[in-house]
Amino acid sequence: MSLSAATRAEIETARERYPQARSAILPALWAVQHEVGHLSPDGMEEVARILHVTASEVEAVSTFYSMYFQKPHGRHEVIVCINVSCALRGADDIVAHLERSLGCESGSTTADGEFTWSSTVECLGACGGAPAMQLDHRFVENLTPESVDATLAAARASSPHATTGPGDAVGAEPAAASSGERRRGAPAGGRTRPRRRTKPEASDG
Amino acid sequence: MTQTPAAPGPDDGRVGVTIDGREVRVPKGTLVLDAATELGIHIPIYCAHAKLDPVAVCRMCLVHIEKFPKPQPACATTVAEGMVVTTNNAEVTKLREGVLEFLLVNHPLDCPVCDRGGECDLQDFTFRYGPGTSRFPITEKVHFAKALPLSQHIELDQERCILCWRCVRYYDEITGEKEIVLQQRGVQTLVTTFNGEQLKSNFQGNLPEVCPVGALTHREYRFRARPWELQRAPSVCPECSYGCNINADSRDFEIKRFASRDNPLVDDMWLCDRGRYSFPQWNTSERVRRPQLRPRGGEQRDVTAVEAISAAARELRAVVDQHGSGAVGVLGSALNTNEELWLLGRLARDVIGTPHIDHQLEPFEKLDPAEHALGIADIEECDALVVLGAEPEAEAPVLTLRLFKAERKRGARVHRLDHGADPSRIASAVRGAKTIGVIADETNRAHAARVAAAITGGAVRRLTVTRGVNGRGAKDMGVLPGLAAGYRSAPSGKHGREILEAAASGALRALLILGPNPALETAGDVLQRALARADSVVVIDSRPGVCAGAATVLIPGHAFFEKHGTVTNLEGRVQRIRPALPPATPTPTETRVLSSLAAELGARDWDRGEPSAVNRALRAALAPYAAAGNGGRATWVAEAVA
Repeated sequence: MSLSAATRAEIETARERYPQARSAILPALWAVQHEVGHLSPDGMEEVARILHVTASEVEAVSTFYSMYFQKPHGRHEVIVCINVSCALRGADDIVAHLERSLGCESGSTTADGEFTWSSTVECLGACGGAPAMQLDHRFVENLTPESVDATLAAARASSPHATTGPGDAVGAEPAAASSGERRRGAPAGGRTRPRRRTKPEASDG
Repeated sequence: MTQTPAAPGPDDGRVGVTIDGREVRVPKGTLVLDAATELGIHIPIYCAHAKLDPVAVCRMCLVHIEKFPKPQPACATTVAEGMVVTTNNAEVTKLREGVLEFLLVNHPLDCPVCDRGGECDLQDFTFRYGPGTSRFPITEKVHFAKALPLSQHIELDQERCILCWRCVRYYDEITGEKEIVLQQRGVQTLVTTFNGEQLKSNFQGNLPEVCPVGALTHREYRFRARPWELQRAPSVCPECSYGCNINADSRDFEIKRFASRDNPLVDDMWLCDRGRYSFPQWNTSERVRRPQLRPRGGEQRDVTAVEAISAAARELRAVVDQHGSGAVGVLGSALNTNEELWLLGRLARDVIGTPHIDHQLEPFEKLDPAEHALGIADIEECDALVVLGAEPEAEAPVLTLRLFKAERKRGARVHRLDHGADPSRIASAVRGAKTIGVIADETNRAHAARVAAAITGGAVRRLTVTRGVNGRGAKDMGVLPGLAAGYRSAPSGKHGREILEAAASGALRALLILGPNPALETAGDVLQRALARADSVVVIDSRPGVCAGAATVLIPGHAFFEKHGTVTNLEGRVQRIRPALPPATPTPTETRVLSSLAAELGARDWDRGEPSAVNRALRAALAPYAAAGNGGRATWVAEAVA
């Protein structure tokens, strides 16, 4: 296996950013995961070659963090929050619904390879829109069984991670129309008006 | 606390500390752990290791230090003037019990079947400092893989691991290969390799010794012995001329393992795998056990050692009488001790009177002890090191670790170059360095001399990596044509290959071979023809082989681990070897056989040839060896060089 030129360039850029190339292991692993979908031994070896570290060091870092995948995952990653706020707003029903509709247990991948889902993460930080889940790099909030079905159907028809190569750009923004969906970290309901400064601009500089 | 801090002393770069009420002055920057060791106070520790940098992960060495709000790790806290440390109060005792209880939460407690049982820090500290019982049920332990082969030499038991990082740091700091890492985190953390691949290092055998518990063990030693059953013989690794100090551990008259015996000047406690795992060859039962006479065209028969020695003397005298003393060729070996080689040299030159003596096949041109001036420990003092070709490190692998240490600790530049590299190019590469080491093996000696001569503007010292455990000793003892013991000039004679060729052509009529000599056996056809053609072939050897098979008089020898003596390593360090095994033959030791042979041939002033007496005589005759004693370096002043 060999990584695409774009991914290699991304890793090389990360290498130049730090005094020690070793520090670039994390961004390099993200780049690999975005291209391959998981961190294959080949991919980690290539990272090691580019960063002039040993493959064992790369693997040690990758296994420390749970958001790097050691095994192939589905095309889409679904993470359901079951912490307090979401649980109070019916996360258990969402988990049961997902289990039924995807036909597999938390932590596993659907037979068609479309989704890997889990409900074992801690708070996603989306309590304002509970119950919430994360689809790839996006939050989907105020979930109902129906909205989950709609979101998954839209995802099925789209491409995975928005950060994949340029060839996927057309389908890279999956079903943005879906009402409960927002970029992680963006305000609920979307940005409605220009953000205002808290203090009036001082005229005297 | 009623203890008073140590009174401030003069500013001599040392600070006074009080540990458990006892005062000691130690150099600034000393760790509390080492200051305590100086006082004979034991602080239990897993992660700290004398050869590795502190990391403070195991928390076993926590001690109370006055004015510190919390307990401090003794392995990572440096002493300060007036510091008051307590290691024996109730607080520290409770801490140790707590840490041990945690370390044992998931430990499988399989000491009765663990190879490390009996020499395990976890076991020992638990007995000495631990709680007698655990509050954690034995049925609820988290289990990991057991008996996981990491290579053909090393087995990993992840359950026994206490995550002290020593193996990881060993690969980081000592070899630089970084093969082992800790993966995952929290309770799931485990020691492993990349993608479960096999270890490739040439220095894996040090891992079980670095490991404080039974997590990393030798596969060759698995279930072979318990430590308290082992007989320990301090000796020297016989695999190469580096002279690594070892303990040959035996049980039931078999060597079970080679363990390292730290000599900071030589091995720095690290052994290579070639040396460490070479021990099974010494347990072979294929040995020459009885003296035999095999006259050409006559009946082969077993005789006593005394009869064999007189027969050998008779045969050699017959050749000398008929063809002159120059018709005898004498071959020693780099596996012989200094005592044997010294006697062999005297026997050849003084008693038989032949100049044809050598210990290997190739000639040495312009042999000069100055080519061994760079000591092993001196490598760390060099600014730049030139290694010619891959041969030096292939011959003496532990050299690699010393070079890496020089690079890592001192920032020395190591130039690994092709053995034919242009001397002027090398000289410009090392320009600016004040101290320079040039390292080469015996085949590239001449080129190393040219390189050393080309380098200007810095102090250059050379190190020639000799062949065979006592290849250096053989030169010092004068088992060479043209150079007698102590590099005194002697009548020129034939070198090893010429001796064989002359015997094969009939110019030499008798051969006296003191084996075992693996180098000789690489001569192949010419050796066969020489042995077949000579009228008399007197062989003293421990193993059946080409030489022993063609002997007209065969006298059993003793294996390396069956005898007393000294060997000299490549830098001239004279080190003792001691028997680890009982002799496989009742024949007297080689030094006595050679002395008896000399007596039979008419020598009058030789004593009986006990190894210790020969060693005394040798030291009386060779001043550098008297100065070296046991463990020092024999250095030859320029005047002694022929």
